Amino acid sequence: MAAVRTDSERTEKGWEPKLIAFVCNWCTYAGADAAGTRRMLYSPCVRIIRFPCTGRIDPHFIVRAFEQGADGVLVSGCHPGDCHYVSGNLLARRRFAIFKALMDFLGLEPERLSFSWVSATEAGKWVEVVNSRVEALRKLGPARVPWGTLSGPPPSLNGRSVAPMPQEPLSQVKPDDYQAVESQLRQLAEGLLATGQVKAVLGYGKGSLQQATPIVITNATEANQLIFNEHCVQNLTVYLTSPSFRSLRPLGVVVKACDSKSLVGLLQEDQVKREDFRAIAVSCPGVKVNGRWADKCLSCDQRIGPIADHIVGSSEPKSTAGADPRDWEIQTIEKWAPAERWNFWMNQFSRCIRCYACRAVCPLCYCQPCIADKNRPQWIPTSPHLKGNVSWNLFRALHLAGRCIGCDECTRVCPVGIRLDLINRRLSLEVAKRFGYEPGKDPSVPPPLATYRPNDPGEFIL
Amino acid sequence: MKVRNDYLPDLVRIVAMTDETVDLRTLRLVFEDPSLRDRFSFLPGQFGQYSVFGVGEAVFTIASSPTRKGYIECSFKLMGKVTTALRDLEVGDLIGFRGPYGNGFPVETLKGRDLLIIGGGVGMAPLKSLIEFCLDNRRDFGEVTILNGARTVADLLYKKEMEEWGQQEGVRVIQTVDPGGETPEWRGKVGLIPNVLNELAPKPDGKFVVVCGPPIMIKFSLQVLDRLGFSPDRVITTMENKMKCGLGKCGRCNIGPVYVCKDGPVFTAADLARLPRDY
Amino acid sequence: MKIWTLQKKRVGDWMAALRAAGKEVLAPCEADGLLRFRPIDDPSAIAVRPGPCPFPFKEWLFPPHQVLFSYQFEGGKVNLREEEVLVNDQVGLFLRPCDAAAIKILDTVFLSDPPDGFYQLRRSHLTIVTLGCRQAVPSCFCPAVGLSPTSLEGSDLFLWEEDDRFLVYGVSEKGDRLVQVSPDLFEPGEGPEPDQLPSPLPFMERKEPLTNVGQKLQGLFESDLWQEVGRTCLGCGICAYLCPTCHCFDIVDESDAYSGIRCRNWDCCAFPLFTLHASGHNPRPDQPSRYRQRVLHKFAYFLQTFQQNMCVGCGRCSLFCPVGMDIYQIVLQLTGRCLV
Ligand SMILES: Cc1cc2nc3c(=O)[nH]c(=O)nc-3n(C[C@H](O)[C@H](O)[C@H](O)COP(=O)(O)OP(=O)(O)OC[C@H]3O[C@@H](n4cnc5c(N)ncnc54)[C@H](O)[C@@H]3O)c2cc1C
Ligand code: SF4
Ligand code: SF4
Ligand code: SF4
Ligand code: SF4
Ligand code: SF4
Ligand code: FES
Repeated sequence: MAAVRTDSERTEKGWEPKLIAFVCNWCTYAGADAAGTRRMLYSPCVRIIRFPCTGRIDPHFIVRAFEQGADGVLVSGCHPGDCHYVSGNLLARRRFAIFKALMDFLGLEPERLSFSWVSATEAGKWVEVVNSRVEALRKLGPARVPWGTLSGPPPSLNGRSVAPMPQEPLSQVKPDDYQAVESQLRQLAEGLLATGQVKAVLGYGKGSLQQATPIVITNATEANQLIFNEHCVQNLTVYLTSPSFRSLRPLGVVVKACDSKSLVGLLQEDQVKREDFRAIAVSCPGVKVNGRWADKCLSCDQRIGPIADHIVGSSEPKSTAGADPRDWEIQTIEKWAPAERWNFWMNQFSRCIRCYACRAVCPLCYCQPCIADKNRPQWIPTSPHLKGNVSWNLFRALHLAGRCIGCDECTRVCPVGIRLDLINRRLSLEVAKRFGYEPGKDPSVPPPLATYRPNDPGEFIL
Repeated sequence: MKVRNDYLPDLVRIVAMTDETVDLRTLRLVFEDPSLRDRFSFLPGQFGQYSVFGVGEAVFTIASSPTRKGYIECSFKLMGKVTTALRDLEVGDLIGFRGPYGNGFPVETLKGRDLLIIGGGVGMAPLKSLIEFCLDNRRDFGEVTILNGARTVADLLYKKEMEEWGQQEGVRVIQTVDPGGETPEWRGKVGLIPNVLNELAPKPDGKFVVVCGPPIMIKFSLQVLDRLGFSPDRVITTMENKMKCGLGKCGRCNIGPVYVCKDGPVFTAADLARLPRDY
Repeated sequence: MKIWTLQKKRVGDWMAALRAAGKEVLAPCEADGLLRFRPIDDPSAIAVRPGPCPFPFKEWLFPPHQVLFSYQFEGGKVNLREEEVLVNDQVGLFLRPCDAAAIKILDTVFLSDPPDGFYQLRRSHLTIVTLGCRQAVPSCFCPAVGLSPTSLEGSDLFLWEEDDRFLVYGVSEKGDRLVQVSPDLFEPGEGPEPDQLPSPLPFMERKEPLTNVGQKLQGLFESDLWQEVGRTCLGCGICAYLCPTCHCFDIVDESDAYSGIRCRNWDCCAFPLFTLHASGHNPRPDQPSRYRQRVLHKFAYFLQTFQQNMCVGCGRCSLFCPVGMDIYQIVLQLTGRCLV
């Protein structure tokens, strides 16, 4: 990043914090204006950028502000109930709660990112908020420049073996458990194809190297090519939105319990029509990645997911469910100081080569075009340098917040082993805690960040 | 250490601009480095990478003729990121240029021949270079027939030039607009280029034909020419694939084993028939 | 060919000598669960596993992100600044024979007219020390593309493990010079011709030749088979990014109000944007047509232009493809030699 401007103000003695305030036009801007006309004194370190509504303030803008050298960002708008567009600020409250949780988890000092409700009459509050933020930034010193600098080797998560790992009750799983499912699956597929209920079946077949690979079967006589075993790890629902599969509708798609949840997401978001596919739900004891049970399987208590047109095998809940080992890792990270966390994640992100495999395998990354492919404006630098990688990984995490169903495909395929699963899971936990929402459950409710409740918690807002 | 760097552009200054249509503008550019002004040479049909610094590069044909020294021209259509930024620039602004790239028209082969030059839309840009080259070397070439088409009268390029060319000896200019694109004053033809071509029914007689324009126009024009008996190795056209490096390295402009940026963009219909349909 | 022996326990001394002579040693090592070529000082950091290192060496010759030049805006002016490239002499240690052969392929692309200055500079500073494969992994198919676990293509020195020592074959003068850096560590030795070494070649399963399939594949350009084989390709970039011979790149500007850079970044023909025109037209509108480009570039087009395949059979793409697209099997299938 040779020529990206190095901001001399930051290194010189006379450093002053730079606080960017994104404010709504109707309340906070009017409040700030009132402070001005009343000649109330407040810190000149704030740069105000006016928006029609907090609902229009996208976390992208905040990321951009940091990228360009802000030391802190303040977002401020109308109090709940006062929004001139009725609910803009209530939607924003949800979005910012999640964004803040993400930034905390990554190790941005909490004081650098603040939110407040300031009405047109609260000139005094505006002054107070700005001054207190600027003071906090002064204490913290300049933000790590540029946004995403590496500082030494990262703390390690390799202590997983000493963690209170759940035993692997999955070791009780026997090859027979899969074989019965496999033979029933073949019969079912044969029937569906023979009777024309589906045009094709998308399932797993034997791969030449990897032991299972997605295959498409259009003829009942080929049904015996379908397999089901502990290697059937891919989430096949990713193909439902692929143009190359359009001509195969209605498509029978083999889904495990976890994969089935992404069907909920796709239906919720109108990406597939219910009549375009038939979910062939295979009773799944668990699958393995690199010879070990997948992390997601350790805590999975279901054999059959929420969307199942045909059930193959038992639909009894599982008795083998334990704890998710990622929870221990998340807790470990959260015990680290912000600087350590930041260092950990910057090291992770620095490895990203921007292959976009995480996006390609994600059933819910269906956008055409994806934000990463848009060039007017260029939200995300396309270069695989730290700045670009941080942007990319932040945006993708945000886009999946409350939508990611935890199939862990992104993490499985990332060729440089970035722990995307920890970020996704951390945000899922936040969504569950705040909004009582679990992704991939009910296709008739809207995704959590596309809605709000008047009484959503707003404890983080000044 | 400094290395050989073919990506480093030369600075050129915009000295004049002409709006050909609502979304098509011609820029006249002069190299900042005075020595380049005379030294820079190219063939009609070659192209360059034009930089708007801070935004990126875009590929345009050099629309002026190498016979007219001291400046180069390009005509660009408003499309996406770079062309939008280019639109915002003014006379006096600096942009970057690297090139020339590509093979260019086979002017040596064309010498002594009658030429039928068919252009649609911004496809006229490379043809303008060729036409000016022929007119500046008038004795080297035979009759020149120019068939120029656009969707509407307002979309026709190089209106002034067309008029001038039409007045020269041995040059015939025929202009056409798509049905519905004519105005009450329009005295040219009305009809799609391939149809007009069919109606004109030129005889092969050793002529060379050069066709540039949108893919669909090229496709149907080639069919008509084939029917009229033109030999595919005497029908010349240009290809437009997405490009980045212009040097045959970045791997995106290929049609089969051929890199359009290096081996093209000028191909004969016979060449094209041998290539996979990957364009 | 000169042959020496080097005691394994003296590799550290050799590395120290190379470093003392101002050379940087790049070898596969593991950091945070990721195997990659990294500059190292300490031989104990080296992590050599059977088969090629998952992340190929090419990042050292053709980095994922290369600044081409930078510029500053000043009033109405633009000041261009050429990018200066700093490289030490480098030694690539413990590449596999396929990796070394892959560098020769990159050479054909980047050193052919017009040569790429950035690549050329790095390449001229690099010496390649290859470790022959005593063991292959199931994904390997170098024999199918005319190479082998002991091929010398692209290597400067070739090592073969034998108990507590390496047989060291001097393949090029550049390689010999590395030996001369600490001659006392290397004893003149004897050994069979490399192709007579006890390599795993006879036991390798994937060796159906893929060397002369260009014409046949190109004849299939319009075939429906591509839909069949390419439909499940997700268009992620893993195959190209991990391929030691893929070399496609994008060129972009990154700037603010004061300055900017123009840079080139890895790119991949599997991406929809790769060939998308500004007009919206895309010559390769779907994944199967993009996958076709991948196969044809490697086994047909490149062959036509440079008289060799653009695949060294390292098997990385097949092993790391999220959906198990195995280029070896797929080419066999396309050319009617389907084994499954
Ligand atoms: C040999 C050749 C000659 C051309 N001559 C002309 C001309 O004289 N006048 C004219 O108006 N247009 C010409 N074009 C098309 C022109 O290059 C594109 O319209 C232009 O690159 C669009 O850039 P953009 O940044 O505005 O579009 P965006 O969609 O924002 O494109 C982003 C980038 O993609 C690349 N790109 C997109 N489309 C094309 C394309 N069709 N060809 C090459 N690269 C592309 C460019 O690098 C561009 O900067 C020519 C193309 C080629 C290949
Ligand atoms: S990263 Fe965001 S914009 Fe891109 S595909 Fe995924 S959800 Fe869509
Ligand atoms: S899969 Fe990994 S390396 Fe590839 S873009 Fe995603 S995070 Fe980056
Ligand atoms: S790695 Fe596999 S899925 Fe990804 S682009 Fe390559 S072939 Fe397609
Ligand atoms: S195409 Fe695949 S097997 Fe061949 S060199 Fe590339 S990664 Fe290796
Ligand atoms: S076109 Fe595809 S296969 Fe060929 S080098 Fe580029 S990325 Fe690799
Ligand atoms: S534009 Fe890069 S190879 Fe043609």
